Amino acid sequence: MNRHYPNGLAIELEGVGKKYRFFSLDNIHLKVPEGQIMGLIGPNGAGKSTTIRILMGLVHQDSGEVRVLGHQMPAEQVAAKWDIGFASEDMRLYESETLAWHMNFIQSIYLSWDAAYAQVLLKRFGLRAEQKIKGLSHGQRVKATLLLVLARRPKLLVLDEPTTGLDPVARHEILRELTGVMTDEGRTVLFSSHNTQDVEQISDRITFIDRGRIIDSMDKEMYLDRWRRLRIEVPFGIQLPALPGIIGVKQDGRLAIATSNAFDPDVANAYESTGARIQRIENMTLEEIFVANVEHSREEVEA
Amino acid sequence: MRGSVVGHLILKDWRLQCLPILASVAAGALALAILQRGNETAFVVGSVWLFVALIVIGCMLPIFAIVNERKKQNLAFLMSLPISNMQYTTAKLVSTVGMFLAPWLTMVVATLLIVQIRGILPHGTIPITLILLMLPFVGFCFIAGTSLVGESEGWSTAATLVCNSSYGLVWYFIVKIPALTLTFKSPVAIWSPTALAIFGSELASVPLMLGLTFFLQSRKRDFV
Repeated sequence: MNRHYPNGLAIELEGVGKKYRFFSLDNIHLKVPEGQIMGLIGPNGAGKSTTIRILMGLVHQDSGEVRVLGHQMPAEQVAAKWDIGFASEDMRLYESETLAWHMNFIQSIYLSWDAAYAQVLLKRFGLRAEQKIKGLSHGQRVKATLLLVLARRPKLLVLDEPTTGLDPVARHEILRELTGVMTDEGRTVLFSSHNTQDVEQISDRITFIDRGRIIDSMDKEMYLDRWRRLRIEVPFGIQLPALPGIIGVKQDGRLAIATSNAFDPDVANAYESTGARIQRIENMTLEEIFVANVEHSREEVEA
Repeated sequence: MRGSVVGHLILKDWRLQCLPILASVAAGALALAILQRGNETAFVVGSVWLFVALIVIGCMLPIFAIVNERKKQNLAFLMSLPISNMQYTTAKLVSTVGMFLAPWLTMVVATLLIVQIRGILPHGTIPITLILLMLPFVGFCFIAGTSLVGESEGWSTAATLVCNSSYGLVWYFIVKIPALTLTFKSPVAIWSPTALAIFGSELASVPLMLGLTFFLQSRKRDFV
């Protein structure tokens, strides 16, 4: 991999904090190496958009350091934004103007604008340049925004919930295009969503955020490898021991469900040695891992 | 980079707001056409129409170019471009002040020419005419600055209400000032110390309000 930035990191947030009256972002550490596709997953109000706005320089952090493409943010946001393609769910184009007007506007600013690629994207997304933005559906507007971002060929793509509110077909089309773009070049991507399926589809690495704190961050495959759900039959009089790697046990009568975030076959053996019987060891989907992770983190904070 | 991004944003605003500017110029031209007919009724109708045109464009421009951009969520799109919040503020103030000055200056110059050439009014009215015409510009700067700093339709509406309800009152007091009215019928323009002080205060308030807008914008930590 080419290393153009310090430590090979395209995004680096160190101890970033931001306080609002009813919400605070607390000691955020986030590192996204150059060329990586990072998914940022969190429930609504978790702090995904605030984190993204801080790294775009649109919101100033109260504490901590932010470096994006080697630039200190927010001080060097102008230099950084030349190479960042940013699209967010709450971003709107000018309704009274056509997509062609927007394309000309962006082309007039960016030397990197790839007119041929813009035409390819127009065709792939089924858009017509001469159509006014107010005449487009929500899905078409998202596609139009992405076209304007992608055709300038940014080194870093920052996408804040771009698939929110889209129908399954439009979502699929956009994710397919993004997947294509990402495999195409060594571009760094930060993709936030509360939809785990979308993030799972395109990300190499996933970070979970909840209530203004990063609760976990690792490679997608590592999550899927390490997390397991154990269904255990517990005979009367047997108490399940607390075991390392087990983050929660829910028991209803003789059936217990244990969740592991660092599964090791020895855990199953340890349960069986107490007289309990393992009925099944199940893989977990990313959504189940996300929910279990958030619940565990909240229990820890409240304890 | 192709030219200055600030320049592109200014041009973008001019392209997007060309209709309101043209409409205000047309309304102003109509007012001046009525005004130059020379009789008393035409003078009253023309001058009222002229001020209404200036006040309306002074209220509408900040709404169209500043408030709606935030309300309709275009701001996030603009701020994704390589600009800082201060560059955005510069672009916004240069474009809106420029868009206001185009019809305002045209109307001020045309009014003075009508007074000068057609002789509808004595030249002694020039100081008070300029003082009165300056007010919509001062009001526009106040509304534009409040709209940028306040970041909401509520603040913009409040500033518009304050200005619109003040014009009549301020005009009433200005035309009651003897130092201005005593020279009214003079064949030459006489700039008394009072006239100069009022006009100077109006002129000074423009950079003061624009400077205050820049200062308050520079202190913002959250921009979108």
